[in-house]
Amino acid sequence: MLNMDQKFKGIDQIDLLIDEAGLNGDKRRERYPDRKFYGFFCSYLPEELVLAAGMQPLRLFPSSLQGTPAELPAYCCSLAKGTLSLAKPGTYDDLAGYGFVHTCDTMQCLGGIWKDIVSQDKTYMIVPPVMLGAPGADKYFRIEAENLLFALGQLNKSNPGNSEVAAALKLCRQVRQLAGELDQLRPMLPSQLVSALLRAGQVMPREEYVSALQNALPVLKEKAEEAGARKKLLVTGAVLENDSFFSMVEELGGRVVADDTCTGYRHFIEPPIKEETENLMQTLINRYIEMPPCPCRNRGLDTRLNYLESLARRRGAAAAIILIRKYCDPHAWDAVPLAKGLRDAGIQVLVMELEGAGVGGQERTRLQAFIESL
Amino acid sequence: MGQQRRYKQLESTAQLKKLITRYYALSRYHRLWGRPLKRPLAWVTSGAPVELLRAFKIHSVYPEQYGALCSTSKATLGLCQEAEAAGYSPDLCSYATSNIGSVLKADIAPMKGLPKPDLVVACNNICGTVLKWYEALARHFQVPLIVIDTPFLTGDMTDHAKEYVLEQFKDLISQMEKLTGRNFNPGELGKISDLSNEAVGLWKEIRGLCRAKPSPLNGPDLFIHMAPIVVLRGTREAADYYRLLKDEVKKRVEREESALEEEKIRLVWDNIAIWSNMFKFFKMFSERGACFVTDTYTGGWSMEIAPGDPLESLAATYTEVFLNRSPEFRAKQIIDLIKEFKADGFVMHSNRSCKPYSLVQEVIRKRVMQETGVPGLVVEADMADPRAFAEEPIRNRVQAFLETLSD
Ligand code: SF4
Ligand code: SF4
Repeated sequence: MLNMDQKFKGIDQIDLLIDEAGLNGDKRRERYPDRKFYGFFCSYLPEELVLAAGMQPLRLFPSSLQGTPAELPAYCCSLAKGTLSLAKPGTYDDLAGYGFVHTCDTMQCLGGIWKDIVSQDKTYMIVPPVMLGAPGADKYFRIEAENLLFALGQLNKSNPGNSEVAAALKLCRQVRQLAGELDQLRPMLPSQLVSALLRAGQVMPREEYVSALQNALPVLKEKAEEAGARKKLLVTGAVLENDSFFSMVEELGGRVVADDTCTGYRHFIEPPIKEETENLMQTLINRYIEMPPCPCRNRGLDTRLNYLESLARRRGAAAAIILIRKYCDPHAWDAVPLAKGLRDAGIQVLVMELEGAGVGGQERTRLQAFIESL
Repeated sequence: MGQQRRYKQLESTAQLKKLITRYYALSRYHRLWGRPLKRPLAWVTSGAPVELLRAFKIHSVYPEQYGALCSTSKATLGLCQEAEAAGYSPDLCSYATSNIGSVLKADIAPMKGLPKPDLVVACNNICGTVLKWYEALARHFQVPLIVIDTPFLTGDMTDHAKEYVLEQFKDLISQMEKLTGRNFNPGELGKISDLSNEAVGLWKEIRGLCRAKPSPLNGPDLFIHMAPIVVLRGTREAADYYRLLKDEVKKRVEREESALEEEKIRLVWDNIAIWSNMFKFFKMFSERGACFVTDTYTGGWSMEIAPGDPLESLAATYTEVFLNRSPEFRAKQIIDLIKEFKADGFVMHSNRSCKPYSLVQEVIRKRVMQETGVPGLVVEADMADPRAFAEEPIRNRVQAFLETLSD
């Protein structure tokens, strides 16, 4: 049993995390005036290196009010369009820099455009291997990471060495472990709450996040209760900048018990590492090689399907929802074999294409029909 | 064929048709006798290091080239719809979706589809789509998938990227040794690379001949005659064909013969052709004396394999292709073309199928205009899917653009 003090502290911290998730980093300057933030887009950016160089990784999200920047055509995903239209008027001018990861064709292009019109000097792109199991991929990735670390050090005029990297790795492992505990509670907590708490960990300083989540977890554990008659769902997809989809699932009697979104648990997952290598950077990179792949990378033809299938089984999900952002090629491609493979395994599937993370009447109708059919 | 009236066909076209018809017929026969002779049939991407496959007597067919062929045969729409019915989004690359459509429903596909592969080989130096597309093919046909991962170059080629590609080549070699039962012969690879270079060198010269005023070739000529450099690179036939073509083009230059009836405006083209409406579209230009004297796409196959260790050279050549490079690199390429070919303007096809080619075009357009003072037009369409071709709005934009150039 928690005492009243612990309880109130925990509740306050949950409030803080929900608030941070709602802001997506908007109040960073007032709340954390002493911190330097470094913008990033993709979960394959080794956060450890940003921290080691003395900066805080801030995931950049599109806002719901966004235009179409003249630099990008209409047939481009709203993540790229939205972040670029925020960057142009200077929303991110306080950031120390921008870290792109080569993922899809859109990110490849956005990185180039960003360099051209947002900042030449502060923009960097790391190019991880696409074929994670290819011979030489681990060494190649390690050198890419070393180059990134060097660039980050130059950017922040720091000179990160092994001890800074080790400390950052420790902090990230702590974050991931806490996120893992939270993810375990997922079947017993409202879907939108877990989604918000996980997103907060991508937009606020990591030490503060660790301390808030540490205090929040005991209260969350107390509050956790069985999903009851709620329909248990697995959700997979890319970036979700708000929780509206998760709220809608709850409103319609569902519960997201398993999550494989870029901004959800996949961002934090700590795969079982084969062994610690002597080279710290290699140990760090091995996590990114071993984690469940996103559709932009390949670690065997069926690795992703097998992972999702076993995740659904472990969590007792009866159905899966595959979310695709309009014009997002990699996720649209994967939706076809995933839907087939999961259905073949007896898991019902709904593929939903969304303009952004927001959901409206049309989605509600489809989702309702799907959940009712389960 | 009223649309083609102003189009002066080259005499070599007859030979080209023969060559490509023979190639497809051979591919079909290959399906039958290739396996017993340990000469597997591979589906490969346009930017794959085919020289390495040829060194193992693997016969390659090119779904992208077939995608263009489907489009000029007006089959793309039906094929894409077939893929869409199977769950593929209409927003994906139409070469890929029409190809998948042809796999799912061969009887509505030209030549009843491509002969089935024994393996599929993708190189991601052109885009990320090919990874997903070839994964889908490997699943469908239950054949090995080989992906050569050529890291995107944000600047110049790096040592670790080269080493990584080289490692994969070595792995590919040992896989091919197992698959075909043949030993790798570096001498054979050297010979094939020389043949590639011969054809590539000739293709480069042919493209260079268009610096002449008037230009002996127009955009459609380049697009039609690029087929052998894609599908027969590394063969004697390709080199012979381009020698023939070069002679003909050279004669045109000597006679000061223009590709158009009268060349008034010289333009540079950026992106893949609009195959579905190629003649109709290019006629909007040619009827006003505007000639596409060069382009970035067909120039993609004019990169020679450097002398030295053939594997290392191949690794560099295939990683450094223009679609694997930064917008700065690509802008510079267009700026150089405008200067070298004395162009008055450039036209960018914003091709909704091909994101890596198209999403950076606006930034490139601005930079090129700034540096050259030459205007650039963007036309939105799709290389293969006719649904994305809105004729009237395109015609109006083209007319307005050409009017400003004629002033
Ligand atoms: S993975 Fe999809 S959502 Fe993410 S940037 Fe690429 S296209 Fe956009
Ligand atoms: S996306 Fe572009 S480069 Fe890739 S296969 Fe399609 S047309 Fe070719």
